[in-house]
Amino acid sequence: MTLLKLLAAGTTALTMLATPALAEYPEKPIKVIVPWGAGGDSDLTTRVWADAMEEVLGVPVAVINKVGGTGVVGTTEVANAKPDGYTLLNAGLSNVQVTPNFAQVPYDFNSFTPIVKLSSVPLGLLVKADSPYQDFAGFVAGAKEHTLTQGSWGAASSGTILASIIADQADYQVNYVHANTTAESMVSLIGGHIDSAVSFPPAFEPHLKSGAARLLAVNTASDAYPEVPSFADLGIRGDFEGWSGIFAPKDVPQEVVDTLIEASTKAMQDPKVIEAFGNIGATVDFRHGQEWVDDMRQTYGIMTDAAAKMSD
Amino acid sequence: MFSNIFQGFVTVLSVGPLLGIMLGVCVGIVFGAIPGISAIMAIAIILPLTFYVDPIVGITMLLAVYKAGIYGGSISAILINTPGAAASFLTSLDGHALARSGKAGKALCMALYASVTGEMLATLVLIFVAAPISLISLQAGPIEKVWLLVFAFTVVGSMTGESVPRGLLSCCLGMMFAMVGMSSLTGAVRLTFGIPDLMSGFTFLPVLIGVLVMPEVIDAVRRRKTPHQDLVLKVSDQPADNRVSLREYRSVLGTIIKSSGIGTVVGALPGLGSSAAAFLAYGEAKRSSKAPEEFGKGSLHGIAAAESSNNAVCGSSMIPMLTLSIPGDDVTALLMGAFLIHGITPGPTIFYEHTDVIYAIFAGFLLVDLFLLVIARFGFPLWMRVASVPPYFIFPCVTVFAVVGAFTANQSLTDVMILMVFTLLGYGMRLVGLNPAAFIIGFILMPLLEQNLDQAVSIVGGDYLRMLSSPIGWIFIGLSVLSVVSAIRSNRRGRRRMAAFAAAE
Repeated sequence: MTLLKLLAAGTTALTMLATPALAEYPEKPIKVIVPWGAGGDSDLTTRVWADAMEEVLGVPVAVINKVGGTGVVGTTEVANAKPDGYTLLNAGLSNVQVTPNFAQVPYDFNSFTPIVKLSSVPLGLLVKADSPYQDFAGFVAGAKEHTLTQGSWGAASSGTILASIIADQADYQVNYVHANTTAESMVSLIGGHIDSAVSFPPAFEPHLKSGAARLLAVNTASDAYPEVPSFADLGIRGDFEGWSGIFAPKDVPQEVVDTLIEASTKAMQDPKVIEAFGNIGATVDFRHGQEWVDDMRQTYGIMTDAAAKMSD
Repeated sequence: MFSNIFQGFVTVLSVGPLLGIMLGVCVGIVFGAIPGISAIMAIAIILPLTFYVDPIVGITMLLAVYKAGIYGGSISAILINTPGAAASFLTSLDGHALARSGKAGKALCMALYASVTGEMLATLVLIFVAAPISLISLQAGPIEKVWLLVFAFTVVGSMTGESVPRGLLSCCLGMMFAMVGMSSLTGAVRLTFGIPDLMSGFTFLPVLIGVLVMPEVIDAVRRRKTPHQDLVLKVSDQPADNRVSLREYRSVLGTIIKSSGIGTVVGALPGLGSSAAAFLAYGEAKRSSKAPEEFGKGSLHGIAAAESSNNAVCGSSMIPMLTLSIPGDDVTALLMGAFLIHGITPGPTIFYEHTDVIYAIFAGFLLVDLFLLVIARFGFPLWMRVASVPPYFIFPCVTVFAVVGAFTANQSLTDVMILMVFTLLGYGMRLVGLNPAAFIIGFILMPLLEQNLDQAVSIVGGDYLRMLSSPIGWIFIGLSVLSVVSAIRSNRRGRRRMAAFAAAE
C-alpha cells in the first residue's frame, strides 16, 4: 500500500517534470468572462459548462459577468488579457462576429483563439397573438404599408443586425425599439407596446406555449413549432442563429487549448449538463477544430459584406 | 388553493428546506450587513450549489439569502451610517439619526418589523393575485415607465433638506456621472475622455460606497482628537428606547402598508428595482406625513417606509418572473436561472404544471419571513455590541470591506480607483453642502430613464403627443405635479417657521 502510494507519487512527480506546461495548467482558478448580465442564456450555458469543468479540471472555474456596451467591455478585457488560459471568454455571434464588423471596437475575430462551441439557438420573428399579421408575407406587406416597430436589444446587437439583413432581403423597413435584453423586449411585445420582435427560444418559447405570441418565421424548423417556416423556406439566405462558446485570447499555448478541448469534451457528455442545457432551452451544439473555425470565418465574411453594404 | 398551500407547508416543513432557509437567512444577513458585499454576490456564489439539491430547498434558500440580504443592509446603515445595500441608504438617514440619540435598538427593531411586514404582504399578493397583477404590469410599457420615473425623480424635492437648488444640482451631477460610458442602446461612447476602462461606465457599488460610506471614514479620521467616549454610540438605559412598542408599531402601520403597496407595484414592474421603490415610498411617506420635518432626523415613519418598500420588492419581483417568465432585475434573473436549471420553466402554466413545487416554494417564502424575524431578533444583542465598539476599530474594518467589496464585484482594480475618486468627490460634496442622497438618486434612476425614454421615442416615432396618450401615464404625471407642489409648500412652511423662530429670538 505504502509502496504503491510512493510509486504513484513518484510517477506524478516525474510527469510533472517531463511536461511542465501540461502539468501546470490549470494550477489556479480560471476566470470566464461573460460579457452579458446574469441569468441570460449565454450566462446560464457558461455557468453549467463551468460547473462541469470544475469537476474535470479540479480547479475553480469562476464565471464573472462584465456587462456593458453591448458586450464590448467584457470582450475587450479578454482580448487584452494575458494569453495564459486563465482568462477565457464566453463568445457568441454578437460579441465576436457582429460587433467587430458593425461598431468600432478595439478587437476583431483574430484577437481570439476559438476553443469550443457549446450551444446554438435559432433566431425567430414574432408578433403578439392578436396581431393582424398571420404569417411572414402578411407582416412584410404590413411593414411596407406603414411603419411598424420591432423589438431588439441594442443598435449594434446581433438581433438588430440579423433583423436588418432579413429586412433588407425581404425589402421592408421597421423602427427598432432597443431594450436591454431580449426578455424585456418580449414584455413590450406581449404588452402590446411594439408591433413585432426578434428573439431567441429561451425568451420566446414560454410566450408561445402560453399563446401570448405568434412565431412567424425561425432560422431552423423545429418539432417544437412544426408549422413555422424557416427563413430559408421563405427564400432568405444566411444563417440566423445565436451561439455560445468559449474563446481564449490569441496566442494561447496549444497545450492549453488541447487541455480545455479535452476537458470540455468530457464535461459536455455529462448527462446532467445535457439535461441542464435542455432545461435552459439551448440546443447542445458541441464543436471544435478547424472546420468549425472555418465556418465561423465564413459567417464573419458575410457580416463584413453586409456592413460594407449598409455603410454605402 | 388553500389545500395547495397547506400541502406546500407539509412539504417544506422537513429538515432539508428548513436547514436551507436557516443557512440562507444567516448568510444573507451577514453579506447584506457588510458594506460593499451585496446580496446579489451572495446569491451568485450560492447559485451553483443549488443546482444539485431539490428545487424546493435550492430556491427557498436563494430567496432567503435575497430577503435577508436586503434586510441586512439596514443593520450597518443604522449602526455605522454605512448602508450595506443600495436600497437601505434611505434607512441610514433616519436610522442612524435615532442611533446617535441612543435609540439604536428602536431603529433596528423598526427596520426589522417593517422589512418582515413588507415582505409578508408582498408574498401574500404573490400567492393570491399574481396572475391579475402581472397582466396589469404588462400595461406599463416604456411610455408609462418614463412617467413613473419622472415621478420618482420628484422625490428628490422632498429629500433636499434646506436648499432645493443644491439638491437639484447634486441630482444632476449624479445623472451626469451615470451617463459616462458606452450607451447600451446606440453603442455611442460618451464622456470617457478616451479612457478604455470607463467604457462600461462607473460600476455602481464603488460609487455608492465612495459617495455615502467613505466620507464617514474621513470624517472619523478628522475627529480623531475627540475623546472616544464622545464618538461611541450611547445606548440608552431606558428599555423603551430600544424596542418598538405595539403602539408605535400601530402608529406606523399605515405607512408600512402604503409603502409595501408601493414596493409591491414597483417590484411587479420589470426593471425598476428596490432602490426606486424605496425612493418613491420615502417621498410619499414624507409628503403625506403630519411631521415632514422629522424625516431625515430620526423618523420612525422614514425607516418604516424605506424598509417595508424595499423588502416588498423581493416578494413582488417574483410575480412577473413566475407568471410571465420576465426577470425584473439581476437577482430575479439569477433566480429564474435556478428555476430553469431545475426544469421548471416559469410562465403562465407554472401553477398547473408544477403545482406541488410552486406551492411548497411559496410556503417556503412565508417561512423565510418568520425565520428572518426570529434569527435577526436574536442577533440584536450582537449588533448592539458592534455599536459600542470604538470607531477606531470599526472604520478600518469598513475601509477594508469597502475596498475588497469594490474589487470583488467585477474583480477589477479599476473599481478600486473609482471608489477612491468618488470618496474624494463624496467628501468634497459634503464640504460644499451638496446632497449625497440626491446624487445617488440621480445616479440610480438616470440609466432607467434613458433606456425607457429611448424606447418610448422609438415607439411614438415623430408623433410626440403620443407620449401623453396613456391613461396610466397621466396618473404618474398627476402624482409628479402633486409631489412637486407639496415639496414647494412644505419648503415654504419650513422657511416661515424658521423666520418666526428667528423673530422670537
